[in-house]
Amino acid sequence: MKKILFVTGSLALVAALVSCGGARKEEGRVYMPDMSYSRAYESYASTEALDKAGVNYTAKPVEGTIARGEMAAYPFKNDSTGYARSAEVKNPLDSASLDSKEAERLFLVNCAICHGPKLDGNGPLWASGVFPVAPRNLVGDPLMLAMAEGTMFHSVTYGRNTMGSYASQLSTRQRWQVIAYVKAQQAKKTAAAPAAAPVATKDSTKAAVK
Amino acid sequence: MILCKPTGQRLTVLFLSLFVISIVNSSAQDAAAGKALFNGKCAACHNVFKKLTGPALGGLEERGKWADHKEILAWVNNPAAYMAKDPYTQGLKTDFGSMMTGFAEVTQKDVDDIVAYINDEVAKKKSGGDTAKTAEAVPDTGNQNALIFGIISLILGIVALILMQVNSSLKKMSDDAEGIVRPEPVPFYRNKTYIAMASIVFFVFGGYMVAKGAIGLGRQKTYQPDQPIFYSHKVHAGINQVNCLYCHGNAWESKQAAIPSVNVCMNCHKAITTYEKGPKLYRDNGDEVDGTAEIAKLYKYAGFDPNTPSKWDPSKAKPIEWVKIHNLPDHVYFNHSQHIRAGNIQCQSCHGEITAMDEVKQMAELSMGWCINCHRQTNVNFNYDSTKGNKFYSIYEKFHNDIKAGKMDSVKVKDIGGLECQKCHY
Repeated sequence: MKKILFVTGSLALVAALVSCGGARKEEGRVYMPDMSYSRAYESYASTEALDKAGVNYTAKPVEGTIARGEMAAYPFKNDSTGYARSAEVKNPLDSASLDSKEAERLFLVNCAICHGPKLDGNGPLWASGVFPVAPRNLVGDPLMLAMAEGTMFHSVTYGRNTMGSYASQLSTRQRWQVIAYVKAQQAKKTAAAPAAAPVATKDSTKAAVK
Repeated sequence: MILCKPTGQRLTVLFLSLFVISIVNSSAQDAAAGKALFNGKCAACHNVFKKLTGPALGGLEERGKWADHKEILAWVNNPAAYMAKDPYTQGLKTDFGSMMTGFAEVTQKDVDDIVAYINDEVAKKKSGGDTAKTAEAVPDTGNQNALIFGIISLILGIVALILMQVNSSLKKMSDDAEGIVRPEPVPFYRNKTYIAMASIVFFVFGGYMVAKGAIGLGRQKTYQPDQPIFYSHKVHAGINQVNCLYCHGNAWESKQAAIPSVNVCMNCHKAITTYEKGPKLYRDNGDEVDGTAEIAKLYKYAGFDPNTPSKWDPSKAKPIEWVKIHNLPDHVYFNHSQHIRAGNIQCQSCHGEITAMDEVKQMAELSMGWCINCHRQTNVNFNYDSTKGNKFYSIYEKFHNDIKAGKMDSVKVKDIGGLECQKCHY
């Protein structure tokens, strides 16, 4: 009797120990596949069959299409004339329609990795030396201080120099929010600098940091 | 960068670089000033070793007329005027697609300092290349332990069997010696006690395995498929502190946590072309991963050539077919934004220590019991007046009164319908 017990017992033990070791590489089986797998096309499912059938599932919307609730599209194309004229465009968000907390969050998620949480161009990627190009100092570089918000929007939308386009990550409204945040921070910084200069004893640390 | 050069070549490089360093050292002050100037004015478009928005500046004195620093100054002060009569810089414009911004305030001393800094960096890289090798890492021993325990228990089992065999033969011999006549033993497979015991063991063990297998159907904890590119979350989200929402921004806004498209990868990898600074990477089976080769795989999908970065056309990129890890059956509704935005749940609560994982492995069971358990234990932030609170919860008048009266101290997800079937199944 004990023979079988020992054989099965030790075999089971070995099997259990071995199977607990590594990660599994297969998805595994499911109960009732018709309830588990969607018949409708889920996000990121392959649309190969649809493409073959000639259904334009992945086609781009007609040019000029504006999503429901989204702002009007930016009028200029990604070329040098568009860049030159971009300064004409004004931020359609006024202070009333701007959610400054959301704008800060968007900046910290999408921009701070290079431009730094303090907007000083010293984000984690540049500070650690991983990124080979210096990100712009958004609150110190005279070029950035002078840049029109429309030109900033153009750069964020289409990408500029090493920076890529953020149009796929941020909607039109979100991009304007981020730019409003950057402009607000710039104004704060330039307002703080002359104020700090005469009252040197009080704000000397702040001025030194800047 | 070539790591395995023949020794002779290495030595010459070493001597050359020592020579260069000794020259450069005499103007060390200049290089330091040059570094500040380079980072302030040039680094937004130029790198010493990489072609980016503008050409790599390492070895610039060997190109064009740049050996003469006066020419560099003329170019930097007024690129448009210089280009009009210089074919070399006209060629640069066609290669890189744009003309350099002018820096009228730069002086001859500045140019000398910047070139000194650039030469210094080139020399540093040449001498540092050979010493960059680090110690070999020891592979993980967790799996070996399990195997050793298994073998030990197998050996013990065999020893026990042999001892039992010896015991029965000894007993038989002593019986023979004492002249006790016993009935011929029934073979064990016909012995009813044996059969009964074996069937009990079979049912208990078999039943356990069947139940375990059935419960495990449709669950895939520890699932860690091989991905088309060895993408390390540890390097990106951990060491380099890229926010989870930078790539998976949709998790804030929708049901799905988006898988980033190739252009999101290229936001950084247009410039970061090699894997140099991070720790060594290993696959699950202990194989070392060449990070630079994995970045090259990304370039293949993106149709990007690091040698001609300005020629890249993002619209020609092909999607990367990542393998989805966290799967829920179709009859379960789960919404990311509901959890992370309204509920303030951290990504790590369900996905585990993503910032410490190279290849992502499913940490949570994603079973219904697991969901429900969390809904029973998690507090809802009911302070709708506070900055982080959700105004929606103001409608739960009874709970607010109960909290004020001290009848309940906190509201759990289950109290606001977190256990209702149709919250997730409909």
